[in-house]
Amino acid sequence: MPSASTSQPTAGEDKRRAARETIDILFSISSLLNTNLDRQSLSYCVSLIENGVNPEALANAIKELRAQNERMGVSQAQ
Amino acid sequence: MASTKSERVENALQSLLERLVPAQQSGEDEDRADQRWEDANNLAHDILDRGEDEAVPVEDVNHAADLIKRKLLRENASPEKATTFGNLYSRLLAQPVLGKKWAILYFLLRVGEEEMDGMPQMAQSRAGSIGVESRGGYGEEVESEGRYEGNGVFDDAFARNGLPRMNEPESPRKAFTRDRERPVPARSRPQQSEDAAPESPVKKSTDGLEPPESALLRDLPFTLQGLSSNSLPFADKRSLKLPPTLPVPLVSLLHTLAEPSLLYRSLSDFVESSEGGLVGQALRSAIGIELRSYLGLVATLEGQIRRALAQLDENQPNGGLGKAGVTLKRCVVWTREATLGLRLMSMMVESAKGKKGGELISLIHSFSSSHGDPFVHSFAERLLVHVTRPFYNMLRAWIYDGELEDPYQEFFVFENQDHEDSGATSVWEHKYRFKEAMIPSIMTQDFANRVFLIGKSLNFIRYGCGDSGWVESYSKSASRELKYGDMATLSLSIDEAYKTVMARLLSLMENKFALHSHLQALKNFLLLGQGDFIALLMESLASNLDRPANSQYRHTLTAQLEHAIRNSNAQYESPDVLRRLDARMLELSHGEIGWDVFTLEYRVDSPLDVIVTPWANKQYLKVFNFLWRIKRVEFALSTTWRRLQTGARGVLAAVSDKLGEDWKTARGRLAEMIHFIDQLQYYILFEVIEAGWNGLQKDIRKPDATLDTLITAHTTYLRSITRKGLLGGGGALDFTTQLHELLKLMLGYKDALDSLYSYSVAEFTRRQELSAKIETRTKAGKWGITEADEDVQSPLFPTSSVRNRLRERETDSPLPQLLPVQGIDGERNMLDQLRQRLQSLAVDFRARTNVLLGDLAYQTDMDMRFLGVAMNFNDVYTPVKRRRQKTADKVQAPPSAAGSTTRRPQGKAEEGKA
Repeated sequence: MPSASTSQPTAGEDKRRAARETIDILFSISSLLNTNLDRQSLSYCVSLIENGVNPEALANAIKELRAQNERMGVSQAQ
Repeated sequence: MASTKSERVENALQSLLERLVPAQQSGEDEDRADQRWEDANNLAHDILDRGEDEAVPVEDVNHAADLIKRKLLRENASPEKATTFGNLYSRLLAQPVLGKKWAILYFLLRVGEEEMDGMPQMAQSRAGSIGVESRGGYGEEVESEGRYEGNGVFDDAFARNGLPRMNEPESPRKAFTRDRERPVPARSRPQQSEDAAPESPVKKSTDGLEPPESALLRDLPFTLQGLSSNSLPFADKRSLKLPPTLPVPLVSLLHTLAEPSLLYRSLSDFVESSEGGLVGQALRSAIGIELRSYLGLVATLEGQIRRALAQLDENQPNGGLGKAGVTLKRCVVWTREATLGLRLMSMMVESAKGKKGGELISLIHSFSSSHGDPFVHSFAERLLVHVTRPFYNMLRAWIYDGELEDPYQEFFVFENQDHEDSGATSVWEHKYRFKEAMIPSIMTQDFANRVFLIGKSLNFIRYGCGDSGWVESYSKSASRELKYGDMATLSLSIDEAYKTVMARLLSLMENKFALHSHLQALKNFLLLGQGDFIALLMESLASNLDRPANSQYRHTLTAQLEHAIRNSNAQYESPDVLRRLDARMLELSHGEIGWDVFTLEYRVDSPLDVIVTPWANKQYLKVFNFLWRIKRVEFALSTTWRRLQTGARGVLAAVSDKLGEDWKTARGRLAEMIHFIDQLQYYILFEVIEAGWNGLQKDIRKPDATLDTLITAHTTYLRSITRKGLLGGGGALDFTTQLHELLKLMLGYKDALDSLYSYSVAEFTRRQELSAKIETRTKAGKWGITEADEDVQSPLFPTSSVRNRLRERETDSPLPQLLPVQGIDGERNMLDQLRQRLQSLAVDFRARTNVLLGDLAYQTDMDMRFLGVAMNFNDVYTPVKRRRQKTADKVQAPPSAAGSTTRRPQGKAEEGKA
């Protein structure tokens, strides 16, 4: 079916564009909320959550890691 | 599927960790870095694994969105960010890609919370939103973090501003920072840091504040609502007691915060109170609305304070207030504008004491119109919209229904309670009055006048003219909502209403109540415009009225009146007009004759008596009485003249040898008097009344005439008649009395002439008899004249002459008797007396006429001067100029207008008596 074959790639294209757009929106929201996540991290997080990771837990993990970094940075600075 | 899923999770997690965990740093050996990586990895897995087991809250996208929105609103003064989020959120919903939008939003929210508010906040809100069981797992960590954060002020400040920067190696955030900071820079971070910096020394020195700032903050919302609290009790109505232990800077802050509290207290007292009229109540409600929005502000403030207090940490210096972002200073800033508003309102309330209605509106309007501060201006305008509402309701009821809905006397029109219901005049003139002080400054004087006139006319149409049907339909069709700030519409609708109502009123007057025909009838009957009718009436009444006043009967008068109407052109008048015409007598006094008490009357009833007022009626009567008197004198003089003319050819010619001279002078003087009367009558009827009538007609026909114009025109008409008609009001000189004297002289002269005429007739009869006797005697052969005949019987003593004659027949004796001698003397006396009397009357008449002409010659009015000229056209008289002093005296005596009004009743009484 020519029509199906032609529509297939465009559908994929659409999907990618939609995904990009979604990430854009989410990024805007995340910066509104001052999450300090960059785009890349955000998309990893999104995929994690999409795959069923508990968002609460993920958030905690990120915060935890940041806190550790901070401590390390502070200790290094000292 | 499951394996791929866990794989994907693993992959994503690894990449995420790579980004999160810093790479090996200089001065750090590889093992340690690896160790770090390992730790992080383990930790992440650990947490995530635990998360797997955890109960996930209900998945609700809207719930998460709501949480975010609330958070944004809470943290930012302006709603801009929240709306931005709203837009993003709706776009996100439209995206089909994501399966777990809720989870993602929730995740973002969590991460964001950490960034903004630090850990304690997170722990607290987590406990609120996730549930108790999740707390156990994190308790330790929370505490440990608390420990880390407890490093002091430096850490506080550093962490807030420094940490995000460290974690943010890339630039994309910058684009949004701009966005974020633009709307209200004063309220977000810069403000906080500003707060923190100057406060730090204070914090250090006042660490042992008693009560602590947090306690003050906790109590602040109550204080702002005017409620007493532990640390800030209200001492009495007007003062707030500050704790004495506070340092000066804090006290001054509290002073500033105490102002709105106290103002609010007094204002809410004012709002609760209930005295004052409708406008006062409207002011109250407007202020109540403002206070409510103030309370809204206090509520937000309270929310902020509570939130800040909840995240306070006892371990931090000053309870970590600086971190929480809500301090007393900040509260001062937040309440600044509200304080201004409260101050303004309290000022208004103070100055509004004892004022009501229009004054109150003027007062508030003065704030909006003459105050330079745009804040005050817009505030007053806002209040005015509410405050003027009852006023506009009144205005509306007034100009569309003609009803005064004003239970508290606040409108600038008030109903005159004193006026007794004595006819339409008072309804029009006195029922409603104008109160200048109550005109609000939002409308001009002229405007208010129009409004007053409209309402009055409507009210009059409804109650005076009994045409409430029209008023109702008019109010239904024309009525519209009036409100403040729409002056153009208002004045337009007022103009329209004015035109409509005035036109209606005039057409009612003209058509329904036949104003014109009544005025015409008044002129015809009372001002002697209808000559044939008056002449007929006078002729038929003359014999009747010569008799004393107490022998006049009303029924004869009305019968004669009826007769006069039937036989003159007056019969063609409409029955309505004739019905109102009546003849009656003034109240009698002793010694008067019918002429003095007779009067015609024309009854005018409501609503026309608005124009033909009782005062006007009195004027009409006065003029009628005067004219009737002139007419009567004229009638009498003409009758005598006629008799003389006919007699001159018969009786008088026969006695001309004896009385010819007398009659000659008498005729001359009579003609003089008739000329005088004719001139006077002509002048009053044609120069005064007709001219005035023309003026009246012109005024009535004016296109922009109102009822008031009609009333004024009619009053002017009457005034000019009375003034020019020599009926008083002429200033210094009292023409009325002069004319009355003159008329009395004429009547006296006429009476004397009548006597002379009878004397002449008697003389004539005597001569006839004598000659007849002579003839018979001559026939009988006797002497024509005997001695006895020489004793001429006095013509005026017929009894004696009859007696003489009888005696002659009986005795025929030539006895000289006393009586005849008396008779001759009497007769001579009689004639002398008559001559004397005629002479003195004539002299008197001439003297008085001279005086009158002298007065007339110096009148300011052209017409009156011409009357003098017409009377003295051939310079027979020599006008006497009054002596100056006399005039001066007179000027002093009646002080113009007031004098003339007080004199009017007197003048009438004089007329009645004269």
